[in-house]
Amino acid sequence: MIMDTEALLRSLTGDLRPVRRLAPPVRRAMGWFAASLAFALYVAHVVGLRHDLPVLFTDGRFIIEFAAMLLTGLMAAAAAFCAGCPGRPLWERFAPLPFAGLWIASVVFGCWQDLMRSGAAGLAVTPDPICLPTILALSTIPGAAILVMIRRGAPLAPLSTTALAALAALALGAAAMRLTHDGDANVMVLVWQVGSVAVLICAAMLFGRRLLHWPERHA
Amino acid sequence: MAQAAHRCLPRLGRDAPFGVAESSNPLLDPRSPLVMSNQSPPIPPSATATSRQASEERWRELMRSAQSGDARAYSLLLAELLPMLRRVVGHKWKNANTVEDIVQEILLSVHAVRHTYDSSRPFMPWLMTIANRRIADAARYHAGRAAHETTVDVMPETFSGDQPKSTQDLNETHDLLRQALSILPESQREAIELMKLKELTLAETAKVTGKSIASLKVSVHRAIKAMRAHLERK
Repeated sequence: MIMDTEALLRSLTGDLRPVRRLAPPVRRAMGWFAASLAFALYVAHVVGLRHDLPVLFTDGRFIIEFAAMLLTGLMAAAAAFCAGCPGRPLWERFAPLPFAGLWIASVVFGCWQDLMRSGAAGLAVTPDPICLPTILALSTIPGAAILVMIRRGAPLAPLSTTALAALAALALGAAAMRLTHDGDANVMVLVWQVGSVAVLICAAMLFGRRLLHWPERHA
Repeated sequence: MAQAAHRCLPRLGRDAPFGVAESSNPLLDPRSPLVMSNQSPPIPPSATATSRQASEERWRELMRSAQSGDARAYSLLLAELLPMLRRVVGHKWKNANTVEDIVQEILLSVHAVRHTYDSSRPFMPWLMTIANRRIADAARYHAGRAAHETTVDVMPETFSGDQPKSTQDLNETHDLLRQALSILPESQREAIELMKLKELTLAETAKVTGKSIASLKVSVHRAIKAMRAHLERK
């Protein structure tokens, strides 16, 4: 024991200052999402939108895929903020999973359509190393913003909170990339875009405990 | 507004957490039925749920006031939570020697994240989530430490041989260590004396010396390296 508990209580209450209460997670998620979406759309506009975009938005499968990406980003942000609020139910952390599932399912369905249309050639995977750095670049600002925001919460579950925050930023980055990167077969999207998101989430989790931790006792 | 309200409250002394002064706030008033007192009659079982609800409401109010900077409400809240936290940790943690350490960690964590409490939500789940997380962290920490420990039947008196060291040997060792310390620059020697001989923490040493924690770590590392090299030469 480093100090007497009663002395600790006195030290905690001695210089008590008012604190700014954390806004509800959903409101914070909406704020982050609106700002990040605006940023992603601006970057997509600056980089240059793909030429077949009007045609793509007549394709129901693409609309579902794109909406699922955006909803995954929004729900993952809300879940990351909920994870930093003690006493909230555990299921909230799993809220983005159905949308992430829908995103992957829509891409897999696209692969099946390509297979039916072009045979085995429709599933040919070629190297496309630009995906990972592009998604990373598009997600950096939203990712930094959500990191600052989750650090205001309690570090109850550092790994899952970091993973959810990374998923939020990366899903948005992947959505922005779908607006700029043209001519992709669905299998390429599945391997390089969804794969990049998965790899980057795992990489972010490695830093989870360093990014989110309780304050040092005598810091 | 919160500060103005705080100024209206009577100033409490050093034992403020355990004393209750008069107040216009029913939650802080000892005559209020919401305030728990040592002299109150025992609560019948049928009233347990009501009592729990009253405590919940009271703690929620106290926390709301604490978030606004009301130190007195915060003192009361922590003082009332302390025995309950000791019970909870004592129930879940078998090593009685470290129960108080974990309780302190929980109190520090509650303090650090008090801004995350949403007063529209119940207080107890908020508190218990933090408590359970800190208990789990302590279990992980102790399990990690135990993995690097070796259980021995007889505690060895020295590490250098089977025979205990004589007084002469000990004196020689002390002389060698003194010599090794004397070759160090002043700043490194001070760091070693405070942290290794007086066993101050990094933060305490930083306060005493006015140096940053990072520079202290570097000083201690270099000092130990230099002392080891000196002892090996001897």
